[in-house]
Amino acid sequence: MRTLAVELRKEKRTGVIPVLLAVGILGAGYAFLNFIVRKDTLLGLPLAPMDVLLTQLYGMITILNMFGIVVAACMIYNMEFKGTAIKRMYLLPVSVPGMYLCKFLILLTLFFAAVALQNLALVRIGMTDLPQGAFEMGTLMKFAGYSFLTAMPVLSFMVLISSRFENMWVPLGIGVAGFLSGMALANSNLNLLMIHPFLIMLKPAVAMSAQPDKMVAIAAFIETLAFLGAGLWMAKNLRYE
Amino acid sequence: MDYIITTEGLTKKYKTFISVNDCSLHIRKGTIYGFLGPNGAGKSTTMKMLLGLTAPTKGRFTIDGRRFPEDRLAILKEIGSFIESPSFYANLTGRENLDIIRRILGLPKDSVDDALELVGLTEFGNRLAKKYSLGMKQRLGLAGALLGRPPILILDEPTNGLDPSGIHEIRILIKSLPGLYNCTIMISSHMLSEVELMADDIGILNHGRLLFEGTLDDLRQNTRKAGMSADHKLIENQLEDVFLAMIEQDNAARKQRAKL
Ligand SMILES: Nc1ncnc2c1ncn2[C@@H]1O[C@H](COP(=O)(O)OP(=O)(O)OP(=O)(O)O)[C@@H](O)[C@H]1O
Ligand SMILES: [Mg+2]
Repeated sequence: MRTLAVELRKEKRTGVIPVLLAVGILGAGYAFLNFIVRKDTLLGLPLAPMDVLLTQLYGMITILNMFGIVVAACMIYNMEFKGTAIKRMYLLPVSVPGMYLCKFLILLTLFFAAVALQNLALVRIGMTDLPQGAFEMGTLMKFAGYSFLTAMPVLSFMVLISSRFENMWVPLGIGVAGFLSGMALANSNLNLLMIHPFLIMLKPAVAMSAQPDKMVAIAAFIETLAFLGAGLWMAKNLRYE
Repeated sequence: MDYIITTEGLTKKYKTFISVNDCSLHIRKGTIYGFLGPNGAGKSTTMKMLLGLTAPTKGRFTIDGRRFPEDRLAILKEIGSFIESPSFYANLTGRENLDIIRRILGLPKDSVDDALELVGLTEFGNRLAKKYSLGMKQRLGLAGALLGRPPILILDEPTNGLDPSGIHEIRILIKSLPGLYNCTIMISSHMLSEVELMADDIGILNHGRLLFEGTLDDLRQNTRKAGMSADHKLIENQLEDVFLAMIEQDNAARKQRAKL
């Protein structure tokens, strides 16, 4: 608990919190704007209204979220390397894996808040703009949970990467490369490609239906834990000197 | 004798290069131990091993009867340390930086002011650490080490980058600490002339090997035996020369061995 409080204090002036909140607000704003401008086109698509609401807006929101996760993850470790602050931490009675876990949890919580904001916007749109009686709260919740879960591998992966490189450009570059390759492969159905965390995050965005894919969800869950476990193990055993 | 830190045959090898070689130190409780050596002698490496930053290749050590890695948290709770260049969060002020350390150590709030006061940073406490001058960063590092007045201090060249009056001030501060509260200090330096003003005991390191360990008086005795002037005043001036001569002699011996 103390480690978490300390980690939160370190975030001051780093921009980690504002970046993810901004992502939430921008995503919500994008959804509103889209429905104001393109409402008739969107609802004219040959898709069920709920599918329109959830799949037609998610592409842009997912990209926004991906960007937010990459940047926030880079920043949350960059402050440890700037001024070599992490060396100071090694000299204090703190658990280094504990620090890692707290950073992961902080990002997770902030990202959750961002996703919640975005989905609140979707709820509001669903209630006011979809045809009477077409809005299904259950479907939205399920899809929101699904897209949150599928974003976790990227988050877990990016924390791992940024904890390993002093130079912030390296994790940022890896994030961009992951994003681009994910986009390029997004429509492939090869199951093996699911080990690509960015690809998993894009799955809900390229899907045409609001039904979660069980396979993808399971893969996301396993990958998140695998990256987290690897990160904790490295924090414990591989020291930065 | 009551030693608080002892090392036995401490050795650190980096790939093919031996940084610290079979080093056995004995640091008495409640004293100031000056750790001397030229650049690259292995002072920082030794201190890093004592703090668990890097694992020894061979040998062992105890700190207040405890060992790494089992007692890592307990050992680090007792040691205030400062290794090489000062480390800090660039996005936080000096005071906030100390507050992070204070929270981790579970100390009362006023310990931050106490530490700032000790190193003379009180009026700059609210400035961002990245905006500090080199000397101020050094003082911040020192304040972090002194926070909560820990029973053991390990300071690696704490006066690096300070102006002459700053060096004088910090030297007086360090010298006063064992009297102020009961603590043991290990301090590294390149200059015997600096260390002899503070230290009770000294250890001289060259190329990872301990050339001498003992009190300053022992060193003076050695000097006399070595046939240098018996005049006390002269010896004071020559102590630095003795140190340099010792290093030079060792280096020459090494070259000799390397040739064979
Ligand atoms: N991580 C490392 N990998 C390889 N060699 C290292 C490493 N760290 C230190 N060394 C080497 O070990 C030797 C001792 O270094 P150390 O920093 O302990 O010297 P020092 O006595 O503190 O010197 P200075 O007075 O310049 O600070 C040096 O030759 C250095 O190059
Ligand atoms: Mg050094």
